[in-house]
Amino acid sequence: MVGVTASRNGWIVWLTFAVGMLLSVSPLPQFMEILRPLWLALLLAFWALALPQKVGMVTAWCLGLAEDVLYGTLLGQNALILTLITYLVLALQQRLRMFPMWQQSLVILVIFGLAQLVQLWLSALTGNRQPTLALVLPALVSALLWPWVSFGLRGLRRRYKIN
Amino acid sequence: MRLLVLVVLSVALMVVDARFTLLKPVRSQMSLVLMQSYWITDLPQRLWQGVASQFGSRTELIAENEKLKSENLLLQGRMQKLASLTEQNVRLRELLNSSALVNEKVEVAELIGMDPNPFTHRIIINKGERDGVVLGQPVLDARGLMGQVVELMPYTSRVLLLTDSTHSIPVQVNRNGLRAIASGTGNPERLELRHVADTADIKEGDLLVSSGLGQRFPAGYPVATVKEVIHDSGQPFAIVRAVPTAALNRSRYLLLVFSDTRTAEERANDAAQAQESLDAQGGGPIIPATVPRPAVVPAAVAAPAVPVTPAATPAATTPAKPVAKPAAKPTTTAPAKPPAAQPAAVKPAAVKPAAKPPVSAPATTGGRE
Repeated sequence: MVGVTASRNGWIVWLTFAVGMLLSVSPLPQFMEILRPLWLALLLAFWALALPQKVGMVTAWCLGLAEDVLYGTLLGQNALILTLITYLVLALQQRLRMFPMWQQSLVILVIFGLAQLVQLWLSALTGNRQPTLALVLPALVSALLWPWVSFGLRGLRRRYKIN
Repeated sequence: MRLLVLVVLSVALMVVDARFTLLKPVRSQMSLVLMQSYWITDLPQRLWQGVASQFGSRTELIAENEKLKSENLLLQGRMQKLASLTEQNVRLRELLNSSALVNEKVEVAELIGMDPNPFTHRIIINKGERDGVVLGQPVLDARGLMGQVVELMPYTSRVLLLTDSTHSIPVQVNRNGLRAIASGTGNPERLELRHVADTADIKEGDLLVSSGLGQRFPAGYPVATVKEVIHDSGQPFAIVRAVPTAALNRSRYLLLVFSDTRTAEERANDAAQAQESLDAQGGGPIIPATVPRPAVVPAAVAAPAVPVTPAATPAATTPAKPVAKPAAKPTTTAPAKPPAAQPAAVKPAAVKPAAKPPVSAPATTGGRE
């Protein structure tokens, strides 16, 4: 019984992750590079809220490893960050579900901002120093995108009855 | 609990990845699948280019063809000169008893992606380990040096550009041979020369070429042109800013340089052996002494006034056939030319062509731009 419901249309979740991965490497104009939203983190946050039994920290970790290979960073760097994001989202899950959309965005901003901070530390350790404040921009853009991503994915989930 | 395990696992992975090469195969296997996403995201542009080339109007194509033809003619013309110059260079190197320049092979690669991180300047190209690319391999575009390969994957590789803030390259001012190190600044249009003395002879418009001293980049490729030199009396060194000659954020087709695969030691050994065989033949020990390095600088200044005499070039190029016995022949030919056979006469004959490449090189690159 559980197995049947758990596997229902699960491939769509993975499809969204694949699309997110494409988006996270798609070429952007120079000035927009700095604003590139954290697509994978956004998708993970949504699916962790919607399907906590299916998408969890292990999924986040695996996706993070994939992202590391894509970006050429140290293996484990993005894995760590995505795991932390998912952990925070899961920890706040009960509250986040009750929040109105703007409040969710705010929480997302804080979580992603923290994650970006960790990212900054890790890149500083590996020798790639980056300007500090500009690093928060992706978190901001992601938070602004959250309502749209959320609506879109919710529609997708209803449509295909993903469980 | 799970968080703890995963965090520890990622930290361990990071440490292992940073310190050892244990995870390289894992990474390359994963990249086999994942690097396709760069290819996929590049697809629209590729398709657009394909469509554009399908529907390119006839007049445009004709105009482009004309342009390419004239460009080709120009390049061919330059090539003719290059052949004699190369010949000359080989002769002079034999005179100097230095090892011959290796002929570098190049292969065309295509850019398939930019690094998504805006703070690093890295690109991804469509040639990888299976195509014979090696770590640290220099990458050029049509105008100059672009960077070096820093990560190898089976069919793709990552190239660190010159302007990345973690990248530095040993360069030389083409005009006078002044050596410096050009560091990236994170700005795609700017390199900075570090630790250049305030009194150094470097000025706006100077071409910087790679000096080959770092054993990584081949010598003599254009790197940047000096944009401004600021002499600030409060600073210990002059501030020198340069603009890369390569179109770092515009080039789509790049050249991978395959130089000889010998290591520095092997090269040194080969050079030493060549030297020994020369000494055994009794190649004149005076000749290296007659062309000391500082002598080049005044000659370079004088060179625009004194065009290379046609008499000097044939004299240097004609005995090019017997490459096997170098240094012995020039000693006979060079004094034979001027009736008064003095070592002093050898010097201008040898130095003048040596000064020629620095003079002509900026002209060629200037024409290309």
